[in-house]
Amino acid sequence: MAEVNMEQLLNCALCPNLCRCECPVLQATGREAVAPAGKARIASLANEGKLYWDEVMLEAAINCLACRGCTIHCPFPELNLCDELLYSRLPAREQGVNLPSVEPYLNNLRKYSSPYGQKAGALVTENQPGEKAGGQKVLFFNGCTSLANHPGSIEAARSVLVRAGVSFQMIEEDCCGYPAQVWGDEDMVRQLAEENRRKFKDSGAELLVTSCPECWLTFSERYPNLGQELPLEIVDGPTYFLGLIKEGRLEPVEKSVTEAPGPKVVSYHDPCIWARTAEKTAEPREILGAIPGLEIKEPYASGARTRCCGGGSMFQLAFPGTASAVAGRRLQEVPADAVLVTACPFCREGLLQGDKPVWELIEVLDRFFK
Amino acid sequence: MAQDMRTILQESKVDRAAVDRYAAGAQKIVGEHRVSARQADLLSASRDYWPVNSIWMREGVFPALPQLVVWPESTAEVSELLALANREKIPVTPYGEGSGALGGVIPLKGGITIDLKRMNKIRALDEKNLLVTVESGLNGALYEEKLNRAGYTGGHFPQSLRCSTVGGWLSCRAAGQFSTRYGKIEDMAVCLEAVLPDGTVFSGRSVPRTATGPRADHLLLGSEGTLGIITSATLRIWPLPEKRHLATYTFERLEEGLEAIRLFMRAGTRPAVVRLYDGQETGNHFPELGDKRCALILLIEGNTRIVDAEAQVIEDCVRLKGAESAGAEYVEHWLEKRFDVSVASILFQKGAVLDTIEVTTNWHNAHSTYLAMQEALLGVEGTMLASGHYSHVYPEGAALYVTAVGFPGEDKIGYYKKLWQAAMPACHQKGAAFSHHHGVGLHRGLWMADEHGPGLDVLKKIKTALDPQGIMNPGKLGLEEVRTWRK
Ligand SMILES: Cc1cc2nc3c(=O)[nH]c(=O)nc-3n(C[C@H](O)[C@H](O)[C@H](O)COP(=O)(O)OP(=O)(O)OC[C@H]3O[C@@H](n4cnc5c(N)ncnc54)[C@H](O)[C@@H]3O)c2cc1C
Ligand code: SF4
Ligand code: SF4
Repeated sequence: MAEVNMEQLLNCALCPNLCRCECPVLQATGREAVAPAGKARIASLANEGKLYWDEVMLEAAINCLACRGCTIHCPFPELNLCDELLYSRLPAREQGVNLPSVEPYLNNLRKYSSPYGQKAGALVTENQPGEKAGGQKVLFFNGCTSLANHPGSIEAARSVLVRAGVSFQMIEEDCCGYPAQVWGDEDMVRQLAEENRRKFKDSGAELLVTSCPECWLTFSERYPNLGQELPLEIVDGPTYFLGLIKEGRLEPVEKSVTEAPGPKVVSYHDPCIWARTAEKTAEPREILGAIPGLEIKEPYASGARTRCCGGGSMFQLAFPGTASAVAGRRLQEVPADAVLVTACPFCREGLLQGDKPVWELIEVLDRFFK
Repeated sequence: MAQDMRTILQESKVDRAAVDRYAAGAQKIVGEHRVSARQADLLSASRDYWPVNSIWMREGVFPALPQLVVWPESTAEVSELLALANREKIPVTPYGEGSGALGGVIPLKGGITIDLKRMNKIRALDEKNLLVTVESGLNGALYEEKLNRAGYTGGHFPQSLRCSTVGGWLSCRAAGQFSTRYGKIEDMAVCLEAVLPDGTVFSGRSVPRTATGPRADHLLLGSEGTLGIITSATLRIWPLPEKRHLATYTFERLEEGLEAIRLFMRAGTRPAVVRLYDGQETGNHFPELGDKRCALILLIEGNTRIVDAEAQVIEDCVRLKGAESAGAEYVEHWLEKRFDVSVASILFQKGAVLDTIEVTTNWHNAHSTYLAMQEALLGVEGTMLASGHYSHVYPEGAALYVTAVGFPGEDKIGYYKKLWQAAMPACHQKGAAFSHHHGVGLHRGLWMADEHGPGLDVLKKIKTALDPQGIMNPGKLGLEEVRTWRK
């Protein structure tokens, strides 16, 4: 089991919540118990045996979007609060303490390898282009949330990859394990990691591309922590697609903004993991910037200072009320006259609450590039 | 089954049936989701940033627990919640963001904690009159951010900007780091809207000044939740400054620095930031300057021509007192680090006890108070360091901010009490006032009689008139004796 860094956790527990202005769950609910240091206090007291895990304490300590907004003002560079909370909570499940709201989704995971239940069919694709072929063999991983909620983005990815002449496949996917990790079922994460590792190996692909930040994080950070190095390189969607543009395999369609219906002004909402963990804030903007005539307006807090849409840590399933309140706050910060673009299926879900269309970056690529 | 949490300061609790009745009533007022008896919520609302709470946190004990936490979203809800508590005689503790430094939010008698963080809207931005009406639960940094987006500043930057609320500032008479130009929060507060324990809602007029008797709304300034709840305030704002001028000077002795400040304040300049550090703090904050001289950092801002003129006058004054110029980069460094209090977490983990005590002096006793308090703190066995700086200045004097750090071994609470028992009389003897901006809370209440003399009875009479049942934040501001916390 992953070890808690008690020194760092206590630094946080003893802190007056210097980052509370950037903690979306706290700002949306007003609850001290879910303030960054509030959670750290509960977790550290539980680690030290000064309180024990029960449903109430677990509910507070798990109320973290893992958005890392708190790192913006945190004076402790070595503190990774989300991970310390995650590791601190692991004994809870072992002791039989669970969060009732997530049990149905964990059961889905057990049964269908997706928290959303039975997966939609007709995903498996293989593309072996002729003369345009080149580069590594790609496995494109969509992730459960796109599969369950947004087949449009999968179609867009398929069509963009075909257009760029990429030799790629989409396989029958199992969940990456992110929800199980967040909800404390480490055995399930291990099982899924093993299964995915086997499937990826069998695919013969050399490069795994994913548009889902949660999947990317799980593959590139969690799996190695569990001793499951994947047998292929992993790259995030924005970097990969920008690469295709730079190689000339995707080209913007001239006058597609000015002379065709569709968005003229866009605003890019940075997903937290891409912005603060993967540090991919330039790539999506470069992609959008390559489209002639498209105006880009920044939301109020953008780049590394982005604010969560409420979708982190599977909140849309575990705490839908909070997820929606967080999304509502974020929507107040985006320009009213722009079409929202993002690069994460959870962000898309959250931002859709604004009753306006939300595009995923891959859909922008599909629409404006040939 | 709720877990058994040990509390140290709990004087009493409200009987279960009354709390349950209140909970049912509160749910009707604010809805089910904004009332909680979950233990995680109760223990999180039990504390603030009083150092004693950090000591107890490490021991796994709590000061005192509320029995219910409620989150209102409007003045009308606050009014109904208070009226209900008043009828049921249930104690009420208002809670902002718990950054208070003296135990003000500890619910000594249990009851209800009213957490104001969901009252967080800007109600009106009045650009013509340079006023903003803001709800009391809004976080400080978010308040400033909203103003900045519209081209204004609130001018209030306590070190706790990111972890305190507007209502907390007003309730404690807080001071921001830029106070010499913009004033303390009470100088910015044009009027308040507040709710009394019986549910009465009232507010002052948002006009520059009035002469229609004492200001009832201003009674709430500094009342720390003992009289009622501040629900919103109309505050002064300023257009974002055109220019910023940064300067650092060093002096051979602290007294010379103080004299230099007195001169430029007397000349009528109003730099936003004026901070004069003793040698020890100069060395800690700015190692390149060493600890032999005392650093004065200055930040002047506003209209370009006024800033330039102020910089010139200040330069003339400090030169008269032997200042050496040290460049703007130290102010830049301070600007970058000014909200960082990470050292406190680290020291507490190492078994240290630390506290900061801020008092108000006039010019004639500014230096002697520093010397007396430092000597008193160093005289307590276990103290490793007692240093100070002047953090806010006025034409008539300055706020002195003293920091003490000690490694007392086992009896941390005993040591903590000794620190204050040494420092407060030293401050009193020199004629300084006991607090400039942290307020009283629970702990400083022990010295309120010394501070106010017969004035304390006046405050007690006001308290009885406005809160006859004594439900509002009992045991705070030194208005009544607290059995569980004595000198
Ligand atoms: C790191 C750090 C730095 C600090 N720096 C400064 C500084 O530079 N300047 C300064 O002045 N202070 C400073 N403080 C002290 C503290 O931040 C202030 O006292 C602040 O005003 C408290 O605000 P809060 O919202 O956290 O209030 P809380 O701690 O939640 O409450 C403080 C008191 O006010 C009452 N209260 C809160 N809201 C209301 C309301 N709406 N109506 C009625 N009563 C209410 C509470 O019951 C309590 O008695 C600092 C504290 C910390 C932790
Ligand atoms: S995350 Fe950092 S800034 Fe936030 S409460 Fe913890 S230690 Fe303080
Ligand atoms: S990661 Fe996000 S939700 Fe979690 S404590 Fe930090 S700011 Fe709050």
